[in-house]
Amino acid sequence: MIYLDYGATSFHKPPAVRRAVLQAMERCANPGRGGYPAAEAAAETVYVCRETAGKLFDCKPEQVVLTSNCTHGLNIAIRSLVKPGGRVVVSGFEHNAVVRPLYAMGAEITVAGRRLFDWDNTLEEFEKALASGVEAAVFTHVSNVFGYALPVEQLAAMCQSHGVPFILDAAQSAGSLPVKLKKLGAAFIAMPGHKGLLGPQGTGLLLCAGQTAPLLFGGTGSESIRHDMPDLLPERLEAGTMNVPGAAGLTAGMRHVLRYGGAIRRAEHRQAERCARGLERLGFHVFSGEHQAGTVSFLPPFDCQEAAEKLAKLGFGVRAGLHCAPLAHESAGTLETGTVRVSFGPDAADSQTDAFLHAARRLTGAGGTS
Amino acid sequence: MNGRNVYLITFRSVTYAQRGERLLNRAGERCSLKRTPRWMEEQGCGYSLRLQTDNIERAVTLLRGEQLPMRKVYLRREDGSLEEITL
Repeated sequence: MIYLDYGATSFHKPPAVRRAVLQAMERCANPGRGGYPAAEAAAETVYVCRETAGKLFDCKPEQVVLTSNCTHGLNIAIRSLVKPGGRVVVSGFEHNAVVRPLYAMGAEITVAGRRLFDWDNTLEEFEKALASGVEAAVFTHVSNVFGYALPVEQLAAMCQSHGVPFILDAAQSAGSLPVKLKKLGAAFIAMPGHKGLLGPQGTGLLLCAGQTAPLLFGGTGSESIRHDMPDLLPERLEAGTMNVPGAAGLTAGMRHVLRYGGAIRRAEHRQAERCARGLERLGFHVFSGEHQAGTVSFLPPFDCQEAAEKLAKLGFGVRAGLHCAPLAHESAGTLETGTVRVSFGPDAADSQTDAFLHAARRLTGAGGTS
Repeated sequence: MNGRNVYLITFRSVTYAQRGERLLNRAGERCSLKRTPRWMEEQGCGYSLRLQTDNIERAVTLLRGEQLPMRKVYLRREDGSLEEITL
């Protein structure tokens, strides 16, 4: 199978990731709970993960909270920053990992910037919303459906000039595009460990610069007499036993990104561009434009799920449907149809794209329901 | 305090103690991480750095410079007992 679903998770991990997971399972007990070698090895493994993330995302190790995925981190961040019923601005391309927690808190949501690949529209709409007195902003770095890379540096500066704290959803960008906590001045940046950072599933990171509210309560291995959670990060947000093998694998993945990040970014971008042009030549409706990362969506001439199924039979792993982001599809006018999404990863290469386009050609003449 | 005395610096969390350990070791102040003895830790469960140095003031200044939240500093006496010191 040629895997083109990196937007969902990275599938072909560097061998060092698998080795690190296995070593941690063999050597590590519970971190922060004991003073014997296996517990110390676990604590060291977790700390090295924080330290490596600190290097990659320009923050201190204690600002790095280990989560179980990006959604987990976003839930903590939203709960920390948004008051029940509070006014929040989001982009028109948010995932349900942002939208559902906001709805659950009864937030009054303003959607700003619904035009794909249009930075002017995004910035103008955010400016209006921020000036109207919202309390917080949440925006994705890259749309998981369309690969639209939002102008996050300008949005960050805009939020700061209005004194509005913001959360960045780096689900699709961490590991592929530069993400820097200090430079952006975000209150929180949430990301998965298993996508662009090439770690195992069940891992994620929340980078914290703002005041935090725990989502889980329980043991932290510190200040055990207290009835409330410690006020220090990262323990405040990390109740319960941690995923140490996951942290070990994530460290190995991040080291790979630290070493090859530039090449990964260029490869993904190049193949997304080639794929979009190739699909257009085949006559598909392709969603592409300036400011596009390594993901491309297109409309086949029949149902998108059936198209993805045909592509799967031809040996290609792509994702069709709404991609857990109905807001993004609403913005692009594809809520009724969904799209077929092709998302590239570190192994992106001309040969992959050429093979995919060859297969996609067969969709143009294919019938509808199989 | 002349010579290389042994000190215990207590921290509220393992993460800060770990960062302190790296900071001091990089600065040439050899130290190691250990669990804080229960009697020293009012809030229960903490971590400490065991440090042998002839310049505890320097070590503490380095840690404070990085805003690492230390709890207390103890000096180990010749009889093995620990005495809290103020710096």
